[in-house]
Amino acid sequence: MPGARTSRWLIAVPMALLALATVYPLVFTANAAMKTRRDYILDRFALADTLRWDNISTAWTTAGTARYFFNSVLVVAGAVALLLLFGSMAGFALSHLRFRGSRALLLGCLAALFVPFQVIMVPLVRTMADTGLVDTYPGLILAYTAQFLPFTIYLMTSYYSAIPAEIVDAARIDGNTPYGVYRRIMLPIGRPALLSVGVLNALFCWNDVLIALLMMPSAEHRTLMVGVTSLRGQYTADIPTFASGVLIAAVPVLAVYLFFQRRIADAVTAGSTKG
Amino acid sequence: MSAERLAPFVLIAPAVLVIVLFRLWPLLLGVNFSFTGDGDRNGAAVGLDNYTELFADPLFLGALRNVGWLVLLLPVAVAIPGMLATFIYLRVPGHRLYRSVYFFPAVLSPVIVGSIFNLLLSFDGPLNSVLDVVGIEPVDWLGDSKVALFTVVGVHVWATFGMALVVFLSGFATLDPALLDAARSDGAALPQVIRHVIIPGLSRTIQFVFVTTMIGMLTSMFGLIYVMTSGGPGGSTYLPEYYIWIQQGQMNRPAFASAASTVLFLVMLVVGLAQVSFLRRTGKED
Amino acid sequence: MKQRVLWPAAVVVALALAGCGSATGNEPPSNSASGKLVVWDWKSSDKTATAYVEKAKADFAAKHPGVTLEFVAQPFDQYYTLLGAAIQAGKGPDVMMFNGGGQIRDRVDALVPLDQYVAPDKERLAGWDAFTKDGKAYASPVTLQGHPIYFNKDLYKKAGLDPQKPATTWDGFTADCAAITKATKASCFALGNKEGIGIQFFLSAFGSGILTPQEYDDWIAGRRDWNSPNVKKVFQLWKDVNDQGLNSKGGNSTTMFTDAFGIFQSAKATNIIGLMSDIGHWKDFNEFIGPDNLGVMKSPVITAGTTPSLPFDGGIGYGVAKWTKDPALAADLVRSLTSTDALTTFYTNAGAVVSDTTVKTTDGGVAVTAIVADLKTGKPALHVALSSKTIELMGRLSQQILEGSVSVDAALKQLGESDRS
Repeated sequence: MPGARTSRWLIAVPMALLALATVYPLVFTANAAMKTRRDYILDRFALADTLRWDNISTAWTTAGTARYFFNSVLVVAGAVALLLLFGSMAGFALSHLRFRGSRALLLGCLAALFVPFQVIMVPLVRTMADTGLVDTYPGLILAYTAQFLPFTIYLMTSYYSAIPAEIVDAARIDGNTPYGVYRRIMLPIGRPALLSVGVLNALFCWNDVLIALLMMPSAEHRTLMVGVTSLRGQYTADIPTFASGVLIAAVPVLAVYLFFQRRIADAVTAGSTKG
Repeated sequence: MSAERLAPFVLIAPAVLVIVLFRLWPLLLGVNFSFTGDGDRNGAAVGLDNYTELFADPLFLGALRNVGWLVLLLPVAVAIPGMLATFIYLRVPGHRLYRSVYFFPAVLSPVIVGSIFNLLLSFDGPLNSVLDVVGIEPVDWLGDSKVALFTVVGVHVWATFGMALVVFLSGFATLDPALLDAARSDGAALPQVIRHVIIPGLSRTIQFVFVTTMIGMLTSMFGLIYVMTSGGPGGSTYLPEYYIWIQQGQMNRPAFASAASTVLFLVMLVVGLAQVSFLRRTGKED
Repeated sequence: MKQRVLWPAAVVVALALAGCGSATGNEPPSNSASGKLVVWDWKSSDKTATAYVEKAKADFAAKHPGVTLEFVAQPFDQYYTLLGAAIQAGKGPDVMMFNGGGQIRDRVDALVPLDQYVAPDKERLAGWDAFTKDGKAYASPVTLQGHPIYFNKDLYKKAGLDPQKPATTWDGFTADCAAITKATKASCFALGNKEGIGIQFFLSAFGSGILTPQEYDDWIAGRRDWNSPNVKKVFQLWKDVNDQGLNSKGGNSTTMFTDAFGIFQSAKATNIIGLMSDIGHWKDFNEFIGPDNLGVMKSPVITAGTTPSLPFDGGIGYGVAKWTKDPALAADLVRSLTSTDALTTFYTNAGAVVSDTTVKTTDGGVAVTAIVADLKTGKPALHVALSSKTIELMGRLSQQILEGSVSVDAALKQLGESDRS
């Protein structure tokens, strides 16, 4: 198919340009992090003359990186674990088990998806304060879980819905309980979706600033992105230091994505060959 | 048998508990709050006063009109990652690389993305220099009230399409490759393959991306608006969430902000559910 | 189907009827019970403010050895939202930083009047008015903020003009600008109005050259006539300056913080209406164009018979929360934060023009010396007297005036209505 081959290459050209455009901001950020404030203000685009690490080290210490990094990892890991567990359980129940009110529940879940955070911001802080969860790790983990669970359930439900009912029926005939079906069939089949929604949720939680600020008033409980945001200052006067902070916070996410991205791709291929 | 019938409820219980406690209950509190006053009338019941004031404010109405624009632009925001994911799935040359790097902008905070585009799009910035070479008049991308909203939406799409791409790619796992091969061996051209195999096969994923992209557009463009336009020029890029933020923080009117939030919630609910049912219907027709 | 519609409606009605009592949490509990004070601000994490905070902490520790202090630096973008949420949720700090003007006046409900605790500082510190409502001071000023017109002497020299004698009339001023633009291509003003802040600076910097002293004082006292010819002149001038090409290009898409400052710093504009503290101030500009090349002027005389003066107010200050256990203790911390020693450090490191009038500023170059000298005859800035709501509206209208989508008259009509309500 020579025609198809040419058209594939024709498509590849704009895609490659787009790839360049998506890498550029990271390059810009890294470049800005290497500049002095003066150099940055005088010419933002020019390449940094030398590799200068003082902005990075300033950002590292000022943003309280070591401790905040630990806080972020703990909270994100906790939230993502809960999200995937609760989300896949609910997604399975809503897509394959018929029970009274399942449609209403799915609708309710959709509705919860449409609650903008600003609507519940203040009352949520009060609810958390009333239950003694403000300024605790479980509090922030639960806040993230609540924030992103509707999204997770919705994704898992729509993913599982595409899986033929015969597979579930066959497993039931083999003597599996619903829990068994969930554990032996649904979790393995759901891997591509779980991996993607896990990565996305991790990204949302990791990059969140507002919820973390509201839930964790004391300095020692702050997350990394909160520390980095504080580097921006009132007037964004020191972009190089801020860019350094952004870089520090972005590297782990990139690493996680690149690691799981392969897994997601593999899972996609595995899923598609299975049919 | 009773354990069997209990199973679905056990499976959904944790999710329902979390959502009701930390999402729906605060929502009810917030709606309740929107019927109270601010400042001197703090805590007093004011009935529908906040809502009356809200719908008399041209700025808020402008923000709602902008929501309309976003909804109209939604198909574009979904089609772009959809097309790209299709090409990657069809193994366009370099697909592995694209799959990795397209996600990069999504890991940067909107603040830094916005700052970079501020520079690129400034009146004497690189983009206008390029246009100048080609002989096109410079455009004040962020300073012209007729253009600014579309500029910001463009940057938002650019910054977030990587996430939709991930979802699309995982959706392809449920697509039967046999159908694709059959269509290919029948000699179907790419547009036909997309139209007859991929779109129907991915209808749930597409619906999902539609809904989440809409939520992303309506609730998380705050960072970009804040950095790139501050709602300007002349309030032309105000979105409800930015309005809520300004009322809550700068104006210190939390109850009034709650009323605006409630309206935003209802608008999103209506638009979102309409979209879901529309997509479901078109999905069935196929 | 009918039922489904009815029940949400019933919920809404029930909520509307029950709508009361949830605006503020009852009795926010205090942090200070255990001999601990929590301070919120957006400054203490700045490199240039660390030494200042350390000085203040040391001063306080000497007086109250048993009390621990926790400074929580919040990001400024979220500061007032967080403060609002904390106040409503009943989890707030004991001492908190405020901007002078509308931001603190809107929130005095949550604050303790400080007059009885800080009486000894009243003389030494300037800028109290910005933190005062109904005759009570709710915060002690740390810095002074104002709007000098800075200019680049080097560009004057390049155009063959005498930088020691900038023009004192509007015609002379624009003639100088024209000469400089011709010789150096630098625009007359660096304008940043993306945030709608350009108009605030413009109004306050040129106000004293346009409004008569009587009109000026009336404006500050709350008697503002938006239809008067001189007020109209301010906004007409705002439009004319832009129409005549005196501003740097793309003002509506340029941020004041910090793109407009960057234009001035890289000598692409001759003049900029800047600040006295924080940023975009003499120290920032000294660093880029050199202390000897930085000049400061007051507004030219635009309406005959006016006496131009430096517009300034209290900049930032610390206040005490109403719910703190021991207001006297918290107020003592505020006093430490405004001690001469601490403020001297803040001036030296950050270049802030501090509220303490006894701090020596002779070593900072000509510009800061001139600014400090002008403080004696200075007056409150016109825009600080406006409510947050009117300021926000003015920002939007100013952008529309520049775009040409709203006329000056229509803008003034809207502003007058907003100011009265």
